[in-house]
Amino acid sequence: MRFLLQRLGFFLLTLWAAITVNFLIPRLMPGDPAGAMMARFHGRLNPSAVQAMAIAFGVDTHTSLWTQYVEYLHNTVTGNFGTSLTYFPLSVSSQIAQAAPWTLGLIGVVTVLAFVGGTLIGTVSGWRRGGVVDSFLPPVFVVTSALPYFWVGMMLILFFSVWTNGALPNDGAYSLDAVPGLSFPFIADVLQHALLPALTILATSIGAWILTMRNNMVTVLAEDYVRMARAKGLSNRRIMYQYAARNAMLPNLAGFAMSLGFVVAGAILVEYVFNYPGLGYMLLNAVNNLDYPLMQALFLLITVAVLVAVLICDFLTAWLDPRARSAS
Amino acid sequence: MRLIKTLAGAAAATLLVTACTAGGSGGSSSGGSSRALTIANVAGQTWTCSFNPFNPSVNSLSFGFAYEPLVYVNALKDNAETPMLAKSYEWNADKTVLTFTIRDGVKWSDGQPLTGDDVAFTFNLLKAKPALDIDALWSSALKSVTASGNTVTVTFKAPAATYFYYVADHTPIVPKHVWTTGDAAADPVKFQDSTPVGSGPFQVKQCSANNIVYAANPQYWQPGLPKVKTINYPAYTDNSPANLDLASGKAQYGAQFIPGIDKAYVSRDRANHHYWFPPTTNVALYFNLKHPVTSKLPVRQAFAYGIDRNQVSKIGESGYQPAANQSGVVTPTFAKWLDTELTKKYDYSLDKAKAAQALASAGYSPANPLKLDVITISGYTDWDASLAEIKQELEPLGIKLTVDDLAGETFNDRLQKGNFDLAYWSPIGGAGPYYEFRQNLHTANSAPIGEAAASNYERYSNPAVDKALDDFAGADEATQRKLLSSVQEAMLRDVPLIPTTESVQWYEYDTKSFTGWPTEQDPYALPAPWQFPDVEQVLLHLAPKP
Repeated sequence: MRFLLQRLGFFLLTLWAAITVNFLIPRLMPGDPAGAMMARFHGRLNPSAVQAMAIAFGVDTHTSLWTQYVEYLHNTVTGNFGTSLTYFPLSVSSQIAQAAPWTLGLIGVVTVLAFVGGTLIGTVSGWRRGGVVDSFLPPVFVVTSALPYFWVGMMLILFFSVWTNGALPNDGAYSLDAVPGLSFPFIADVLQHALLPALTILATSIGAWILTMRNNMVTVLAEDYVRMARAKGLSNRRIMYQYAARNAMLPNLAGFAMSLGFVVAGAILVEYVFNYPGLGYMLLNAVNNLDYPLMQALFLLITVAVLVAVLICDFLTAWLDPRARSAS
Repeated sequence: MRLIKTLAGAAAATLLVTACTAGGSGGSSSGGSSRALTIANVAGQTWTCSFNPFNPSVNSLSFGFAYEPLVYVNALKDNAETPMLAKSYEWNADKTVLTFTIRDGVKWSDGQPLTGDDVAFTFNLLKAKPALDIDALWSSALKSVTASGNTVTVTFKAPAATYFYYVADHTPIVPKHVWTTGDAAADPVKFQDSTPVGSGPFQVKQCSANNIVYAANPQYWQPGLPKVKTINYPAYTDNSPANLDLASGKAQYGAQFIPGIDKAYVSRDRANHHYWFPPTTNVALYFNLKHPVTSKLPVRQAFAYGIDRNQVSKIGESGYQPAANQSGVVTPTFAKWLDTELTKKYDYSLDKAKAAQALASAGYSPANPLKLDVITISGYTDWDASLAEIKQELEPLGIKLTVDDLAGETFNDRLQKGNFDLAYWSPIGGAGPYYEFRQNLHTANSAPIGEAAASNYERYSNPAVDKALDDFAGADEATQRKLLSSVQEAMLRDVPLIPTTESVQWYEYDTKSFTGWPTEQDPYALPAPWQFPDVEQVLLHLAPKP
């Protein structure tokens, strides 16, 4: 119980600190949103529009920093994130609701796939060290993991999109002329567009899971209870999965919970290279346009997701591994 | 084993999905009709499906499609006028009162008649909500706007011939009966206007994040028009898909900068793929006139004599943007205003000897080089190339330039506050060199160093030039020419900034399925699809080929 309260208390403290930093940082950036819009529409916007926009965006006010901070805290707790300046006059929450499914869908699913696949491959590799699986898969995937994400992405675009004359799309979440809806053609279109980004993320992230799982397996296999299980006459498969893998997976599970938290950050590089309209792409646009409301909401979302993930990760570890429960 | 089987299964499933849809990728065209016009203009983000004509980020999507101006003014043909919602207008003697007579029989797309009341309402809406007044009409010129039946009287604070463009051509007329009810009345600034009710040739038929479909307005007041019945406006977030669509013919009306345009676009269909880049304003090197070194005239003259504008145009802009002249008048667009006598008198053609001489008189030479920073916006690769060329040309003379690529906001901030030695920029200009001169040179657009200037970033201040620009609004044409000549002389004599190339509008058009495009030989409108309200003229001239 004490452990629970301690963890919760720490969580709340970190959350408050993150929210405050989130408030301060956009205000330290040079320039203002109206000016950013002038830069964005250079050559098409009358300089006199700046004043009009400043009023529309509400950045014309001269309230004190402290008043703004209190208002910001209030808005954060009540979930009122205001109007986006990039997507003016739509509200921030509507825009986040629109982009979130793409990020959670693509990156969430791929993270799970990478974890599951990586753990499986790592288990088999660790069990039969030097075997067929171990000789090829870990080295290959470790190399691909070391490659820069955007390079792998662009290489895949080159091979599968440009050189095949557009067999696989290189851009967007769905075709420009697709009609969004829950119809089979649309879903197929979405899957087709998600293929290359998913492969890129998979290729660059699976290596880490494989390596850690394999190394954990190797350590666990030296334990006494594994020897005991062998002596008892249990089948290899049973020992590998029910005894060794379960124990080896513990550290990985904690890492998995953390990486789920980072999913929300949207892997900005993924979305930039493939123009995927998720939260990361939206964050990039928001920063470029000095869209304070949208930026703050997104940073908050990412921070909260990571903090919650860390919290869950702590609880999960405590629950699964009794050794971690003893509050020192 | 199990792992390999699972992996094989997954691979098979993905291939199946790909195969099922590979044939359909990009094959299905929306709207069904092969006569739908598709526009390729990179928006940089997905559509918000907001069409509020006073919102600067989306007004190019509705003004010209659903909304119309009073009179269309063609900047390319010496301000030739086409009456639109106003069938005629009249100035009073001293150009302070402008009276419009609104056309009869015009209906809004919901069937209600359009009257002078709607026009007066539109202008007074801008007065009530300054956030909507993106041309700053009320703060700079308007005194009152009233309507009586079909006559609308616009009164100005001072002689205002130069504001005709902004009042008659640049203001979309919106219906009073829609904007005084519901969301629009509650907050017109945040009003989304997702199904705009306008008098224009098109209505928004369907809008999703990735595409807008416009359909012809059956109530449109010009009989038989528009001939194009459907328009697709996809939301491109990046240049490459837009350029690919133009090259393949999937999009026919483009506003794209296409590198290597002959190979990437024209060669794909020599008979039908055309482009035309009309110049509209100058890209210039702005000096900081309050800086200890660049405030010296000989230093600036050294730049003017030492830069080979033709080379900058050829190498920096791949020849797409023509070389500019020191008078600051964009040619051939505004050639009639160029004072050729003055150009001959102050000959600023390339002369390395004169440049070296001017520099020497300020105390600099290759032995004692002048070191200066020039700031530019990062991401404008053609400007970077131009500056690299300029840097190379000036180095042997003894001027060492360092190019500073700054992110949009940082650049803007430093440009406006005068925190630079030199800056590379182009103003928005307008329907004549007067507007560009006013933006660049008038003291009213300046500000002390450290405060944000509106557009006169070099901080040039000359009372004679201010007076000439102020008098321009109320003068007759002959006097206007003399006034602009005096301003050109200030450009040539004082060299406050150096126009290097002329900024153009990117414009590609495909004649395979549509005719009636604006061309260099027939410049009936500024051609870019984002240029409002000119896009209306283009859409009205276009017709699908039989």
